[in-house]
Amino acid sequence: MKMTNTLMAIAAAAVLGFSTPAMASGGGAKLEHANIDVTDQEQIRRGLTVFTDVCMGCHSAKYITFRGLMDYPEIGLTREAVDELRGDKSLMSGLVSDLTVEDAVVSYGKAPPDLSLIVPGRRGGADYIYSLMIGYTHDPEGRVPDGSFNAVYPGNRIAMPDPLSWLDHEADETAELKQQAEDVSAFLAFIGDPHQNTRRSIGVWVMGFLFLLTFVLWRLKKEVWKDVKKH
Amino acid sequence: MLDKIMKTQLFAWVDKRTGAEAIIKSQLTEYPAPKNLNYMWNFGSLALLVLVLQIITGIFLVMYYKPSAEATLGGFTVAFDSVERIMRDVNFGWLIRYMHAVGASMFFVVVYLHIGRGMYYGSFKAPRELLWIVGVVILLIMQGAAFFGYLLPWGQMSFWGATVITNLFGAIPVVGELVSELLRGGFAVGDPTLNRFFSLHYLFPLLLVAIVGGHVHALHVVHSNNPEGIDLHKPEEMIPFHPYYTIKDAFGVAVFLLFYCYIVFFNPQMGGYFIEVDNYVPANNLQTPAHIAPVWYLTPWYTILRSFESKLLGVAAMGASLGILFLLPFLCKSAVRSARYRPMYQIMVIMFFVDVIILGYCGHTATTPVLKVVGQLATAYYFLFFVALPFLPKFEKTRPVPEGI
Repeated sequence: MKMTNTLMAIAAAAVLGFSTPAMASGGGAKLEHANIDVTDQEQIRRGLTVFTDVCMGCHSAKYITFRGLMDYPEIGLTREAVDELRGDKSLMSGLVSDLTVEDAVVSYGKAPPDLSLIVPGRRGGADYIYSLMIGYTHDPEGRVPDGSFNAVYPGNRIAMPDPLSWLDHEADETAELKQQAEDVSAFLAFIGDPHQNTRRSIGVWVMGFLFLLTFVLWRLKKEVWKDVKKH
Repeated sequence: MLDKIMKTQLFAWVDKRTGAEAIIKSQLTEYPAPKNLNYMWNFGSLALLVLVLQIITGIFLVMYYKPSAEATLGGFTVAFDSVERIMRDVNFGWLIRYMHAVGASMFFVVVYLHIGRGMYYGSFKAPRELLWIVGVVILLIMQGAAFFGYLLPWGQMSFWGATVITNLFGAIPVVGELVSELLRGGFAVGDPTLNRFFSLHYLFPLLLVAIVGGHVHALHVVHSNNPEGIDLHKPEEMIPFHPYYTIKDAFGVAVFLLFYCYIVFFNPQMGGYFIEVDNYVPANNLQTPAHIAPVWYLTPWYTILRSFESKLLGVAAMGASLGILFLLPFLCKSAVRSARYRPMYQIMVIMFFVDVIILGYCGHTATTPVLKVVGQLATAYYFLFFVALPFLPKFEKTRPVPEGI
C-alpha cells in the first residue's frame, strides 16, 4: 500500500515535471485561518471528542485533568460523562495517552509532544494547528512518502500520520473534516490557557475602572496645577 | 490630608523620635522641583512602581514555584510543571504570573524611556554625574535580574538563551572557562544552573531596591534637571514636589496602568515579544530551536555581539557598549545641557535612539546577510556617537540658553 502510494507520488511528480516550484524548505505554506471561538462550549466539547477519540491515541494533555473537564465552565461535562471518559483512571489524572514513549519511538521515531501548550507554543497558534490538520498533501517533488508530507510543518516531513485522514478524502467529507480540525484547534486553544475567558472578562472591568481613574486624576491634576504660572 | 495627619498627637510622638516632620518637609512638601518638568519626567516614578510590582508578584510566585530541572511526565520538568500549576490551579495565579512576566518587559520600557530622557535633556551632566552612574548600575542589575528570571520557567528559550549567554563568558581569555562553569555550576546548563539563577534572581531585586534608594538620594541632593537644562535659582521657578508632582505622577501611573493592564488582560504574550512562543515548549537539550533570540530588551546588545566575526571581539564590544554608558558624563563636554539648545547633539541623540531600535530589531530577527550589515552599521554608529561627543563643542554652535523659566 505504502509502496503504491510512493509510486503514485513519483508518477504524479513526473507528470507535473519540474515546472512545479519547489516548496519553501521551512514548510512555509501560508496558514489557513481557523474559525474558532474559545467561549463556545459546543465547539470546545466537539474538539474534546476529537481529542479523546483521535489525538489521545498518541498525544497527552497532562495539564488538563478529568476533574478539569467538569470544573472549567467552558467544557462543563457532567460527572457521569467524565466517569465514562476516564474509565479506571483517577479523577485527578491528566488526559494522558496510553501509548508509552518507548512504543511511540518504535512506531513513529519520536515521542509525540504533549498538547497542553501546543497552541501558545507554536507560531501561528490555533491557525497553525488547523492548517497542520488539513495540510497533508502529496509531495510535489515526490521525495516524501504520502502521509508524511505536510505543507505547513517545518521541513515538511512530519512523523505524525495524517490524523483526520485528510489526504485523498472524498470531496463530500471536506466540510466535516475541516470542522473537526477547527473544533480540535478550538479545544487546544482553550486548554493552552484555560483561564483566558475569565481573564478577558475581568479585564473589561479593570480597563473601565482605569479609564475612570485616569479621568479623575487628570481633572485633579488640572485643578492642583491651575495656579502654577506658565513661563 | 497630609498636614492634618501631621497635626495629630500620634504624629508628634513619632516625630519626636524620628524627625519625621523634617524628612517629610525636606523631601516632599518643601522639596523644590522645577515647575516646567514635562511628562518625560514621569518615568522615574513609574520605574519605581514597576519595581515594587515585580517584587510583590515575585514574592507570591515563589510561594508556588519549584526550581528543579528534574524530569517529569511528557518531557517536562518540575520547574515547568510548577509554572503551569501557577497558571492553572493557583487562584489568580495566572494574574500574578502575567503581571510579573509583562512587568519585566514594562520595566525596561519605562527605564529605557527614563534613560532616553536623561540623554536628551543632558540630565547626566554636572552636577548629576554620579546620579547617572548609579542609574547605569541599576540598568546592569536589571538586565542581570531579567536574564536570571527568564531561565526559571525552564522552557526552550530559557534553556538555550542561558546556554548562549553563559557560553559568551567562555570567550574571556584565561579565566573564561572557569567563569562560565561557575555561572552554570557545571559544564552545561542544568539543574545547578537553575538553582543558582533562582537564588540570584531573588538577590538582584534586593540589590536594586538598595541602589534605587541611592539613586533617589543622589537626586534629592542635586535636584531635578529640567527641559531647558539650566540651573534654576529663583524661588518662583520652583514648586514643592507635593502636591504638584505627586498628583502629576499619580496621573502618570494611571495612564501607565492603562497600557500595562491592557497587555496583562488581553495580550500577555504581546505577540511573542514579552513571552516568547518557544518558551511554551519545555527545555530540551537535544533540540536547538530554529532561531534563538533573547527577549526584546536585550536584543540591541545581542546585535552588537553578533556584529563581530570573532567571539572575543563580540563579547568585548557588547561589554564596551554597556560600559561606555558610565563614561557619558565625561565624554559630553558641552556646557549646555538640553538638546533643545544643541542643534548637532539633538540630531545625533535622536539618531542614537533610532539606532538602538534598529539594533534591537536586528537582534530579534533571524539574521540575513543584509540585516547583518545593517546591524554592523548600527553598531558602528552606537560607538561613533560616544566617540564623537568630546569633539562636538568644537563644531557645534549652541543656541542661546534662556535666563530662567
